[in-house]
Amino acid sequence: MSEQSEPTGNGHREAQFAQEWRNAAYNCYSSGHKFCREVCPVMQVTRDEVHSPTAFHANIVAMEQGHLSVEDVARDYVHCTQCGACELRCPNTLFTGDFYRFRTRTVDVVKAMRALAVDSGVHQPNWQRWVDATAQWKSEPVLGDVPVSQDHVADWAAGLSIPVGGETILFCDCEGAFYRTSVPRAAARILQAAGVEFGLMREQWCCGGPAAEMGYTDRAREFAEHNVADWRQVGAKRIIVFDPHDYIAFTEDYPRYFGDDYQFEIVLMVELAAELVRDGRLQLTHPVERVVTYHDACRLNKRKGIHEAPREILRAIPGLTFKDVDHVTQWSYCSGAGAGLSIERPDLTAEISRRRVERAAGLGVDTLVSACVWSERPLSEQGGKRDEPVDVVDLLELVAQAAGLDGGRAGPSATSATVGTEGTEAAQ
Amino acid sequence: MTATTVSDPVVEELVQICGADHVFTERSARYNRARVPAPFPVHRWSEYVPDVVVLPTSAEQISEVVKLANRYRIPVVPRAGGTGLTDGAVPLRHGILVDVKLMNNILEIDMDDRTVTVQPGINMLKLNEELKPYGVIYPDDPASYPCSLVGGRIGTSGWSLIGGRYGHTRDLVISFEIVLPTGELIRVGDGGGPKIRKSSTGYQLKHLFMGHQGTLGIVTEATLELVPRPEAEFAAFFSYPDYDSAWRSTGSLAKSGLATLAGVVLFDEWKLSYLRRDDEAYIPQPDSVRCVVATAMYGTTDEVRPAAKRLLRIGQESGGNYLGDEISQGDWASRHDRYATPLHGRTPSGQVVPMSWHCEDASINWTALPLVREEWHEIVRRLIDRHPIFDDWGMFAYTNGAFKPWGDYLTEIDVGIWEQELDDESWAAWVQAKRDIAAVAVDHGGSISACHGACREGEVDLVPREMGGGFDVMKRIKRVLDPLNIMNPGKYLLDQAYEEGEPS
Repeated sequence: MSEQSEPTGNGHREAQFAQEWRNAAYNCYSSGHKFCREVCPVMQVTRDEVHSPTAFHANIVAMEQGHLSVEDVARDYVHCTQCGACELRCPNTLFTGDFYRFRTRTVDVVKAMRALAVDSGVHQPNWQRWVDATAQWKSEPVLGDVPVSQDHVADWAAGLSIPVGGETILFCDCEGAFYRTSVPRAAARILQAAGVEFGLMREQWCCGGPAAEMGYTDRAREFAEHNVADWRQVGAKRIIVFDPHDYIAFTEDYPRYFGDDYQFEIVLMVELAAELVRDGRLQLTHPVERVVTYHDACRLNKRKGIHEAPREILRAIPGLTFKDVDHVTQWSYCSGAGAGLSIERPDLTAEISRRRVERAAGLGVDTLVSACVWSERPLSEQGGKRDEPVDVVDLLELVAQAAGLDGGRAGPSATSATVGTEGTEAAQ
Repeated sequence: MTATTVSDPVVEELVQICGADHVFTERSARYNRARVPAPFPVHRWSEYVPDVVVLPTSAEQISEVVKLANRYRIPVVPRAGGTGLTDGAVPLRHGILVDVKLMNNILEIDMDDRTVTVQPGINMLKLNEELKPYGVIYPDDPASYPCSLVGGRIGTSGWSLIGGRYGHTRDLVISFEIVLPTGELIRVGDGGGPKIRKSSTGYQLKHLFMGHQGTLGIVTEATLELVPRPEAEFAAFFSYPDYDSAWRSTGSLAKSGLATLAGVVLFDEWKLSYLRRDDEAYIPQPDSVRCVVATAMYGTTDEVRPAAKRLLRIGQESGGNYLGDEISQGDWASRHDRYATPLHGRTPSGQVVPMSWHCEDASINWTALPLVREEWHEIVRRLIDRHPIFDDWGMFAYTNGAFKPWGDYLTEIDVGIWEQELDDESWAAWVQAKRDIAAVAVDHGGSISACHGACREGEVDLVPREMGGGFDVMKRIKRVLDPLNIMNPGKYLLDQAYEEGEPS
């Protein structure tokens, strides 16, 4: 049997794509090591080779040779949380990358293939709906059928007296703004307690990162342009983010969009909080009697190499028993929530989260601490299902509690209470 | 979108056996299971694509799939990790590809009789993560340790980097369950007891059903050896000014009789110059460093400490210069990742190009190593002269015997291939080079393959010469166990078993 694809309408676009990525693809294809496979959170569950980073690269070789088209492979690329574990575990990156100024870039490959699919008219239905709704409401539809809207984007800040504008802006992620509002409230309280001046945006839209991750690059760019224009209009110089996904968007996507004109300092709240504690500007004096382990957020640990600051904070909280698992071991851990997997394959997200929580439970802890608001919903769901539940808490919620600040924990049940209209200075 | 020569009734029956979620006919599912890291004619990819892929979850399902294949006379190709360096998992005749990766559970950990029983889709690194709390390990440690799977280790009769101390796959797999080419499920071991290491009952079937490259069945469960987690690891790397002194020193180290010795590895001048291209451990080494010998030991602290002193003494007295703790420990720790990446590739003019790594792996006696080395490098030099898409990445020789690592060596020559430029002519030249390399091994009283298997195009032609009358026995066994030539056909010249005139 010999098979050749018929040239399709997308043939030219695909040929250009294959040309652009061919050396990156061959560097993986030729290596054939597949060391990435057992650290991949999706592969650990599905065990299906077409979900492996190896396949994500090999498909491009096959496209170049005319064997596969974007229609053939688009669905495979759904199965990636863009956690970056495969890039770290790749021998090409580990041992020769520095010398050749090369690193395996599976995340970029996946994003590019998803974008090619969208440009070629190959859509994943749930992603398409999600991005359409985000475009309509300017925030991601994190409450399902309950609309999120600009009227309520700053409701989480009710009663906190946060001004609008200023040199330092606290950017609030969609999941935090509408679902786990306790996280931005904790962030704001911490900043206020430490005397950090900050404000909110006049009109905050989604960061656009999720749309970019799903392949809707034009949409992502629209969100980015709006946000950057808003920052400029209020004279912002520094943007504080608590969500690792925003951190990626603002430090990787935005600089690509805006080039040298993009001069904002992006500050990760966890690193800032560690600094505030270290410098004595934030006193952690209230004991927190929990036995915890820390979930390394993929986008911090694997994508950005940030794993020290969260541990430094946890070790500074009185009363806490911290059972750590080192960050390299956690290369193979994930919540499964990233890059739209939870939207197209919620079953996989649930199973990846279940396994993550199970590992935590095996350490004999009562609490799993995360620093990624997107991980906390699926992890909480799985933690709550256990005979001996594992509580899932955001690191900033713990810090606020240890600092004796109000506005700490407010779980999903509190969401409806915070979605209101009264008294938020930031609301337009 | 779906294109398959397997008729729909077959797919429907496979769905009934394995479930709709575990049967794939999509193009990407099939194209991504066509190849392994072994030399692959990428320009002829479409010739090796299976018709349908199944991911079974039980031995019973595999048995039913094989019986169905016999009824319809469709080839069956087993695939575990797909990380092998011969082409056992490549579907030469298309057909049904049985991918066992979903069968990756640990079924039992027996700390009393020291065994762990697993399904074939589990990876050794993952298994050892689970075994860590028990204070034991499963010490099968190939270069592909982070990704290869137990089923494939059995199918290839794999080789372990620490086999000198702990044994190779055949020494570590105690018994296993296998679906025969006609669909029956049997258990084989040393005799019948699933946890018995040594028996004299009956034929020794365990060896027969290991290393057959998927031509004699599909493993569905295996009972493996557990050893105490080593308290101490010691690695020492020595340098030498020339091959001859390194080779003699290798012999002295390997013959030391130290029971904790896991392996001795000799890197030749070509390998050193390859590493000097970009390896920060070797670039700063003085020119007098031409060859390197690596050693490693494992065991209790009480054993390893005094043995390490003796090993260092032997290495230095036989002409080696100890390269220091940093290189020794660092290089040994990175043994799985370090020695073959496509970025090292160079054309003869020095251009950096992405090359894939291919190694020819014979078993060679110590006495024959110097001559084999010269002849192999010459074969590759002639290949590069004609086709500058190949690159000589050097050779190493690694102690080969389990527990008695002194007589023969896993001997590899690593060759880079710029696959983007492969065509029929260069592929044919490569196949001929492989044939020549295999012939040298056999001519020097060696064996074509120590660990990968010898069924790849080219070298396989020499298998009857190496095996002699044993090859006729192989054909008879194949025909008896697989009367319709269903199980992984086209491998090891075994199609000859079905030609007219062959005794059945």
